[in-house]
Parts: sequence; structure tokens; C-alpha cells
Amino acid sequence: MDINLMIDITPLLVEAAWVTVDISARALFFGFFIASALVALRTSRIPPVRWLARAYISVVRGTPYFVQLLLIFYGGPAIGLRLDPFTCGVVVGAFNIGAYMSEAMRGAIESVDSGQNEASRSLGFGRLATLQHIIMPQAAPLMIRSIGVLAIILVKNSSLVSIISVVELTYQAQRLIGSTYKPLEVFMLSALMYIVIIYAVMGIVEFLYRRATRYTFL
Amino acid sequence: MEFDFSPVIDYWPTLLQGVGVTLLIGVAVAVFSVIGGQIVAVITLYTRKVVNWPLRFFIWLFMTTPLLLQLYFLYFGIGEWILIPAIVVGVLGLGFHYMAYNADIFIATIKSVSSGQYEASRSLGFGHLRTLLYIIVPQAFYRALPQLSNNMIIMVKDISVLSAIGIGEMVYASQYAISVTFRPFEFYITIAAIYYLINLMMEAGQTWIERRAAYRS
Repeated sequence: MDINLMIDITPLLVEAAWVTVDISARALFFGFFIASALVALRTSRIPPVRWLARAYISVVRGTPYFVQLLLIFYGGPAIGLRLDPFTCGVVVGAFNIGAYMSEAMRGAIESVDSGQNEASRSLGFGRLATLQHIIMPQAAPLMIRSIGVLAIILVKNSSLVSIISVVELTYQAQRLIGSTYKPLEVFMLSALMYIVIIYAVMGIVEFLYRRATRYTFL
Repeated sequence: MEFDFSPVIDYWPTLLQGVGVTLLIGVAVAVFSVIGGQIVAVITLYTRKVVNWPLRFFIWLFMTTPLLLQLYFLYFGIGEWILIPAIVVGVLGLGFHYMAYNADIFIATIKSVSSGQYEASRSLGFGHLRTLLYIIVPQAFYRALPQLSNNMIIMVKDISVLSAIGIGEMVYASQYAISVTFRPFEFYITIAAIYYLINLMMEAGQTWIERRAAYRS
């Protein structure tokens, strides 16, 4: 074990870990809006819109994230889509996680008893008001948990953008293994950073979950 | 912006070979990770802390770090000390990764089999190991099947990542073809379509397995 080397490479890895956090956070942020839009489209009154949303979700979930990344990054220019690696990582990550997240959101919304919706509507709430004041508060705890799981998957998936040469944690780790010939030390440090990131995400999820269930007796 | 799929047809044999490699790796990893996961789960639950804590640690480590990092460590890292062929690293890396996920599921389902089953079996004269082997594990296995098949569907998609360490599966095969024909869009969209097809078939299989599992348990 080479402690000096580990101290030397820590700043490099911390910097790279920050890129991992950055790319995942942005993808999660945009993914949330894509997911919300997909949920809205899936419950649309026009059948073709519903089918389109379902087809999109099915295709995105049925193909590897890695292939989607390569398709957009290397194949994108052929359809006039030129993205720099970082943006490409965020965009593909967001569209990918959006499909998964829309399923999680739909599941959470459907888990709320349909009587709640009917009661609220018959009391004069509109569709949106019902969603906002009646359904969402009840669906939120489950939704937060499942989005938390997806956020962790997103962080781990972000290692794949190293293939399109974004200098994030896995890219840096691979480069350092190549230049220092000390794989164990580099692996331990970079694994530790992923673990710290993932536990931070879990902590945030737990905090939000407790806030969402503040007034609920379970 | 014009598409030309004729290179894809020209390189169809190469791609098909990649599909074959992908499927072979998928079967190997599925068998390895399910059987291994089951063994790891039983050992984790029924042995002393000296034995099961390291195992728990490895399950945790495999689940909290990305697959690609693990593959790089195994391929470039272990390669410093002993030389292993890429394909072995790939199958073992992917296998251990999903073994951890499967073990995690098995641990939960073994715990969910009621302790009354264990006691009844012991009082009927089965030994400890026989009880585990004939009574507990089969029940736990059927309960685990839905989540297990889910894991395997995710696993097949992760085989594409193995191209990063130079294993000749679909993506790697197409990368070779792309480097000659400069048609990335057409090739990657074909790969995506093949994966989607595999995925649809696996989902159909999953529905079938779940029906059978519901019948057995």
C-alpha cells in the first residue's frame, strides 16, 4: 500500500468525482421534467400520444444506456446533432433516466386509491388541483424512494460517459491505473468516492422522505 | 443527412458473430451469477461472522461501485499481477457484479421463508444442510424468480459495457465495422434494435417464468 501516492492522487480524483456529481445532478434535474412530461403524455386523452409515450419508454428501457450514449455521441452528427461529451452525457442520461422515472412516478400515482381522485373531483377540484393537492402528497413518499434508487443508478451509469472521454471519476481512475501501475490504491480511492456520493444521495432521499411523511401516521 | 444501411448488410456476418458472443456471455453470466448468488446468500446467512462479514462486504462493494470501474480494476489492475484473457475478466466481472445483486435478493427471500418450515423439516428428521438444500432454498428460489429475471434483463444490457475492455460482443463488433465504413449512426441503431428485440423476448420469457413461479409457490 502506497500511502503517499494515495495522498498525491486524491485531489485529482476529488476533482473528477465532482464532475460525476455534476453530470448526474444535471441529468437527474432534466430527467425529472422529462419524466413528468412522459407521465402527462401517457395519461393523455388522445390515443396516439399515449402510444408514442409508451413506445418511447419501452424502447429506452429496452436498449442499453451504453448503446444510447454511443448512438447519440458518434451517430448524432449524422442527424445534425453535435454535442460536446459532457452535454451528451447529461442529455442522454436525462432522456434515459426520464423513461425509468416516468414509470416510477406512474407507479406511485397509481398506488394512491382511486377513491381519493373520485372524491376530490366530486368535491369540485379540477384535474390539476386534484393531482397537486390530493394525489401528489400521498404519492410523494413512494415516489421519493423510487427516484432515489434511480438517482443511485444514474450515478453508477455516469461512469459510462468515460467512454466518450468525459474526465469523470472512472476515466480518471483508469488513467491513473495506467500511469501509476498501482491499481489497488486507485481502485480503493475511487470506489470510496462513489460510495461517498451514493451515501450522500441516500441521505438526501431519507431527508426528503421524512419531510414528505411528516404529517402521515404510518 | 442521408442514411445508408448497405454497410450494415455488408458487415452482417461480423455483427451476427457479435450477437452470438453477447448471447453466450449472457448465458454464462446468468448461470454463474444465479448459482453463485444462491451459494453466497446461504453462506452469508448460515455461517459465523468470520466467514460472512467479508462476503457481506463484497456484496456491498459490488453494489455501490459502477460496473465499469470494477471491470477496469479487474482488467488493468489484476492484469498487473497475473495475465487473464479479457473474456474471462469480462464474464467473471459481470458475473460477480450480478452475483452480488442476486445474493442480495436471495438473502431477502430466504429470510421470507417462514422459520416454521425449518423447524418442521428438522423435526421430520432432515439435517441442517438437507433442510437448507431441499426445503428452504427451493422455496426461496421460486420467490426470487420475478426479481431474478428482472436482474438478468438488466444484465444482458450491461454486456454492451464489456466492449470497453475489448470483448468482441455486439458493440465491439460494430465498432470495428464503423472504423472501416464510418457509418456510426446506422450501426448503433441496428445494435439498439437487436438489443430491443432480445429485451422483448426476455420480457416475454419473464412473464412466462412468473406465471410458472406463481403456480409453484
